[in-house]
Amino acid sequence: MGIRELELTDLPQTSDPPVGLLASIVNRLTWPFRYGHVEPRPSTGFYTDTTVCIGCKSCEVACKQWNQLAADGLEWTGNSYDNTAELSATSWRHVKFIEQFAANGQSAGHDTTATHELTIDQLVNGGGAGRWLMMSDVCKHCISAPCQHACPTGAIIYNEFANVYIQRDICNGCSYCIAACPFGVITRSDFDGHSHKCTLCYDRQKDGLVPACAKACPTASIQFGPIDELRERARNRVKELHARGVTGAYLYGEEPTESYSALHSFYLLVDRPAVYGLPDAPFNPWLHMLADYGRTIASALATIAVILSLLFLQRL
Amino acid sequence: MQDDNQARAIEPGYLTQDVTKVPGWHGLVAWDLLFNNLTTGLFLFAAVGELARPGLLGPVARLAYPVALVLLLTDLVMLVADLGDPLRFHHMLRVFKPSSPMSLGTWSLTIYSLPLTLIVAIEAAQFIGWLPSESQALEWMRWSAVVFCLLPAFGSLAYKGVLFSTSSQPGWKDARWLGGWMASSALTLGCAELLAISILTGHPRAAAALRTVAAVLVVLNLIPTGLVFLELRPTLSRIYRDQQVYLALAFILVGGTLVPVVLLLAGDGAPWRLGAVLLIVLGGFAVRLLLLKIPHASHESRTGARALESVRRAVPG
Ligand code: SF4
Repeated sequence: MGIRELELTDLPQTSDPPVGLLASIVNRLTWPFRYGHVEPRPSTGFYTDTTVCIGCKSCEVACKQWNQLAADGLEWTGNSYDNTAELSATSWRHVKFIEQFAANGQSAGHDTTATHELTIDQLVNGGGAGRWLMMSDVCKHCISAPCQHACPTGAIIYNEFANVYIQRDICNGCSYCIAACPFGVITRSDFDGHSHKCTLCYDRQKDGLVPACAKACPTASIQFGPIDELRERARNRVKELHARGVTGAYLYGEEPTESYSALHSFYLLVDRPAVYGLPDAPFNPWLHMLADYGRTIASALATIAVILSLLFLQRL
Repeated sequence: MQDDNQARAIEPGYLTQDVTKVPGWHGLVAWDLLFNNLTTGLFLFAAVGELARPGLLGPVARLAYPVALVLLLTDLVMLVADLGDPLRFHHMLRVFKPSSPMSLGTWSLTIYSLPLTLIVAIEAAQFIGWLPSESQALEWMRWSAVVFCLLPAFGSLAYKGVLFSTSSQPGWKDARWLGGWMASSALTLGCAELLAISILTGHPRAAAALRTVAAVLVVLNLIPTGLVFLELRPTLSRIYRDQQVYLALAFILVGGTLVPVVLLLAGDGAPWRLGAVLLIVLGGFAVRLLLLKIPHASHESRTGARALESVRRAVPG
């Protein structure tokens, strides 16, 4: 039955009746008024518990399958099992692998970096004094998203679930969102020239379905739901881990900081953020925009004052 | 064959990577930066000069406006060509979003282009005799357009540096004075352009006045340049070797400042002064290219360091 669902030819097909140029223009101009107001729905998001991720990459595959994203080509990066390498216009999920093993039997402190070497012995004997960290990375759906602030076309919006969504028919590929995102998420496609990233399966959510990655994750490392419920669940999980001796467990992005809003896709981590390729202290560049304009205006006015003085001082 | 007792080389996770992605802004954007500053700098300098000293700079300013329009059109072509989907350029104008420097800039450039075109159209029509050259009403209209054009021209100039500093890219994000530097540099470029126009069109009084102003502005521009350099220093030190940084600094100080100032003040004759203008413009372009390349260079230096580290691990000793 699951297969039959995909056979579109079996489904009743409908298409828009042909319209002329004038009707099409009138339609485009009046559509925003006829569309009406979209009622906000409860905010949703992802909570990713990295301690239970097994690196199976089901989320990557499910995301590609549901969103019909092309393969990126296979490149052996030499970085553990990570051959996806980065989030891209066609990879909206990226499972990261961090091997923390001491070289030649030394003990690997868990707060150390992932720069240790792994011997075959340690690998065969279960890793010895080390550990694996795995994390499924995705757009953070920032509550105050720099990409959304940056977008000059209004293509990037917050949808009714308070998720950050790129309207693909509007984006013109200016790339400012790419420069703005502190997490290196958005990418411009070489194929269509537009920016792309995780939609938090907006289409599935509208139909009451769970995003494809969360649905596919076999260990519930990726959890989806109303953001308040997720936060509650995540805090309890941290308490549980602390009680079990994993004292390094903490939540990343669950609460706002002085320099960044909370994230609608937040993480439970056990090492410092940079180890996972996340900024230790994300900063919203819009916090200093007004002051930067102030300095620009001051500098321009000072220069103009110098110009005027010199022009008036010269008796030519 | 690898010795199994040898520690195996693995890549060091994600710690050494830049978290941010480099936007696909390449050489074209460096030219866009230059042309933006050339057009806005020239217009602002000419307009301020004409309004302040009409007798001295009015005639040269009239010649500068068509040049500013050509530079603006060149800049707009580059802006559009750099988009991922140039045919959707007009989507920039479907919203006005002052919170986005790019939106503010696009609107400023659009509004700036309208009175500037009107000014040039009036001048052109007068030149070819379609409109009377002594009409009070036309002069009033032209003057109003010049005054009206000041604000959008200023907006078009101010947004550029802030666009880059309001980002998460290495280097740019730390450059609080980037916009300030660009404003001062654009006005210096504008002065140099106007000097070139006055020399080439035979306005010696204007050229004499502008040569002193240009020399002072080139020197004063060192203040915001120094401030931006201090802000970029940590990133530059990470990306480049010290010698490279000092070489770039020497290039800016000698090639873009000292030599032009000497040529402006001591050089006797048009070729020397035009040479100074050329150096100011070339120096301005070089600095803009360097600034633009910082995130690319940062990314490449990280990748290079990772590759070196891999080799070091794979071939111990
Ligand atoms: S993580 Fe980046 S792309 Fe995602 S919402 Fe935040 S700023 Fe936008």
